[in-house]
Amino acid sequence: MRLNIERGELLRALGHVTSVVERRTTIPILSNVLLRAKDGELSFKATDLERDVVESVKADVSSPGAVTVPAHILHDIVRKLRDGAEVEIKLNGEKERLTLTAGQAQFELQTLAPDDFPDVSAGELTHSFDITAADLKRLIEKTRFAISTEETRYYLNGIYLHTNKRDGVEMLRAVATDGHRLAQVELPLPNGASGMPGVIVPRKTVHELHRLIESSGDSVRVGVSQSKIRFEIGTVTLTSKLIDGTFPDYERVIPQGNDKVLTVSNAQFMSAVDRVSTIASERGRAVKLKIGSDKLVLSVNNPDGGSATEEIDVDYTNKPLEIGFNARYLLDIAGQLEGEEASFMLADPASPTMVRDVGDETALYVLMPMRV
Amino acid sequence: MVIRQLSAETVNRIAAGEVIERPASVVKELVENAIDAGATAIEVVTSGGGLSLIRVTDNGEGMAAADLALAVERHATSKLDDENLFDIRTLGFRGEALPSIGSVAHLEIASRQAGSRDGFRIVVDRGRKSAVAPSAGNTGTRVEVRDLFSATPARLKFLKSERAENMAVSEVVRRIAMANPAIAFTVTTGERAGLKLPAAADTADGLLSRLGRIMGREFLDDALAISGEREGIRLQGFAGLPTLHRPDQTQQYLFVNGRVVKDRLLVGAVRAAYGDLIPKGRFPLLALFVSLDPRDVDVNVHPAKSEVRFRDTAAVRSLIIGGVRASLEAAGHRASAQGGMATMDVLARAAAATATAVADDARAVVAGDAHAMHRAGGDRAGSRSASGMRLQLDSGFAEAMQAPFSAVDRSGLAAPTDAAGSGEDVWDRPLGVARAQLHETYIVAQTRDSVVIVDQHAAHERLVYERMKTMLAAGHVERQGLLIPLVVDLSEAEADALGERVAEFAELGLAIEPFGAGAVVVREVPALLGKGDVAGLVKDLAAEIVSEGAGFALKERLEAVASRMACHGSVRAGRRLTGEEMNALLREMEATPYSGQCNHGRPTYVELKLSDIERLFGRR
Ligand SMILES: Nc1ncnc2c1ncn2[C@@H]1O[C@H](COP(=O)(O)OP(=O)(O)OP(=O)(O)O)[C@@H](O)[C@H]1O
Ligand SMILES: [Mg+2]
Repeated sequence: MRLNIERGELLRALGHVTSVVERRTTIPILSNVLLRAKDGELSFKATDLERDVVESVKADVSSPGAVTVPAHILHDIVRKLRDGAEVEIKLNGEKERLTLTAGQAQFELQTLAPDDFPDVSAGELTHSFDITAADLKRLIEKTRFAISTEETRYYLNGIYLHTNKRDGVEMLRAVATDGHRLAQVELPLPNGASGMPGVIVPRKTVHELHRLIESSGDSVRVGVSQSKIRFEIGTVTLTSKLIDGTFPDYERVIPQGNDKVLTVSNAQFMSAVDRVSTIASERGRAVKLKIGSDKLVLSVNNPDGGSATEEIDVDYTNKPLEIGFNARYLLDIAGQLEGEEASFMLADPASPTMVRDVGDETALYVLMPMRV
Repeated sequence: MVIRQLSAETVNRIAAGEVIERPASVVKELVENAIDAGATAIEVVTSGGGLSLIRVTDNGEGMAAADLALAVERHATSKLDDENLFDIRTLGFRGEALPSIGSVAHLEIASRQAGSRDGFRIVVDRGRKSAVAPSAGNTGTRVEVRDLFSATPARLKFLKSERAENMAVSEVVRRIAMANPAIAFTVTTGERAGLKLPAAADTADGLLSRLGRIMGREFLDDALAISGEREGIRLQGFAGLPTLHRPDQTQQYLFVNGRVVKDRLLVGAVRAAYGDLIPKGRFPLLALFVSLDPRDVDVNVHPAKSEVRFRDTAAVRSLIIGGVRASLEAAGHRASAQGGMATMDVLARAAAATATAVADDARAVVAGDAHAMHRAGGDRAGSRSASGMRLQLDSGFAEAMQAPFSAVDRSGLAAPTDAAGSGEDVWDRPLGVARAQLHETYIVAQTRDSVVIVDQHAAHERLVYERMKTMLAAGHVERQGLLIPLVVDLSEAEADALGERVAEFAELGLAIEPFGAGAVVVREVPALLGKGDVAGLVKDLAAEIVSEGAGFALKERLEAVASRMACHGSVRAGRRLTGEEMNALLREMEATPYSGQCNHGRPTYVELKLSDIERLFGRR
């Protein structure tokens, strides 16, 4: 195996793939990246056994071949090479070492056999569709804050991606919940997605995907089966196993009949919550909302920290109501809202409350109150 | 049947049987007499475990010839008149000790009164009194007891080994010495020069230094001053930090009006005061001195005067609990210095060993002489106290102080914020400023003169626990409703047991309902638990309830419950914290009482003094 490649190309590809490589792993080959040279292309592949990332870039291949080398070391080396440098990569047959030469600098890296490199991406995908990077980003960004980290309910440790019908129209919907709050975002179902199985995409995959689409525009091709999901983003492909479990019947907890509607200015509400919750210590403190006619008083009372109140003007005509929410959760949700105004649909101090941007039916948040 | 009047001798021996149990009892009586006589220095010498000789010499007021003759008579005392039996201000009051001793041994007392030129002596040999005769000697009194129990050989059978009796003798003197810091004591048992306690000032500091000599250096470092007063009862003394503990109660001392007392009251009160701060089966160290109007305490309930009866036991008990608690609370986050010391010890040992191996010739190592190794390391450290090095070190640290966090920014920590404190005073805070997190488990912080290492999980657990406890005690627990209720699978017995206690759990902020056979569903959790492991908590509690049976009342076990919750809801070791989070944790620890140790009694942090670290590197 022998090839020449430009340093920038090498760096970009390694940047994409090495982040899935776990820094501490007990299986040595998982620290490595698989390099495969053939037909004027160099491909990179890294995996943590749950998912893998593959990228191919153009290269001047004079002799094909495959090898694995430590991913983070290779990445660090390439990072430190001079910008625009021409890099020669050569597998030294007898010694089983990879030689990397750039200008006057030369490195020899230890290798492991490419045949031992695990393959998680094999297998058929039953459905595939195209989605814009912007849409995919929105599905992720608006829901990922609610993903659970608690291990007992492992099936909540990801985003539930599935199809659903609203007013007779088929939608692609993403839902995440940690059991305390829930986020749901949907968009019209892309062509080809109809009939796809509902899948739970693990948290780490979600983060990898977000990182990868951040740096790319255009459209992403998504392939799904019962057990796997694949995202093709330009020259990069991320394939991941899915969480093998049943997502709870979340629709039952989305309130339907909450008739007390509170409308607030988004910016005003968010900064008020932010201000009063300064008093709340890091966790577990409630922000109390005292809702009267066209008036909302937010207050926090922390016995060992002090107290805070702030009043803001709102639209509310129903019966007065007092309800408490975890300050952190309220801030998280306020951070997702992007319209001018948001509305809270409330029932009573013990039942779930629904929050959404006024005029935007595609995203909704449900929050369970705190009882104080 | 013939009824006979017993001879005085026999009566005395029967009385002696109660007062004088073993050599140590003789020592106790004689030393107490010396204290009553106003001595400032007392010397005790024994041989043969106290059987062949006990000699107690004091520099007290001494006795005149007539007194001397009376002193060995039964019920003759200078300390009590017929009016004031309920107003006892001396250690002795019965006039029973000397005649008892004289009836079972060979007793010789030599005494000279202060200001008198002549001294006198008297001998009582197993009950037979000789006449008072002149004798030369220093001011004060010297009492010699020989051949103890030779008149009552049966008693000899009950004695322990010579060594055990010697130990009992020094233990008795130690205890008395604790209550009398201003008096110098020396004890020599057999060939060995034993205890030597110089007189200390009659102040709190003096008392503490005396206590330190008797209870150990650790106690000296980790003692909190206790003081309190209530309804004419005064409490003083010192109590160890909760991180300092022993597997038994031998280091818990109570003194009432200067008298060493054994009382169950102390055990209970101490347990109540320390509560959950001490791990199960471990006991804190303390020495408490209660003084009250002698008329409010009956000291005449036990022949050896080792028990007392208070008129108002409850008041004494709550004074002790309140006084100890107040000091513990004021100490707040202070953890035992022992953690830091132990660390320094380990490090110093390693350093000493290396120093020896590297710098010195290998003699000590070859000889396998651990002591030599230690000494060599120590000498080396000692001989290198160049002041230039100190200067360098000082300025180095001062520089670092001006830039909190700059050194660790690279490791991905948040930039300093106001919480991290750009203000001057954070360096003066007891736990200082967080500088780094190591192994995602330990926070390293810097104060002006020390390095503090915090176990983040233990610390956080304690904080959550204390807050939980406050809320539970106030009967007001904030709860987070679960949007998606959590089903917890249990054994059928466990599920049934929980099902019967739904109301009790609700008060604790856990809303639970039965859910078919062998399961419960949780609908609300205490907000403090955060996103902690609810299932783990419920399973733990269920198991406990089943094993404790019907008698288990959750509310009485608030502390256990709170501790469980804290454990399941805490920042695990292994979580990366931002600089802001770390500093917030430190500040909260400072503000929270008892945060110096986690719920399991382990310290939450250790502090390494810069001076100790310098010593470690031979800079001092
Ligand atoms: N070391 C001493 N110096 C001066 N006087 C002493 C000394 N030892 C004993 N006495 C005198 O002898 C008396 C009798 O002593 P003894 O120990 O028998 O009785 P007590 O101390 O009065 O009462 P108790 O039996 O409770 O100890 C004392 O009251 C005291 O006056
Ligand atoms: Mg006496």
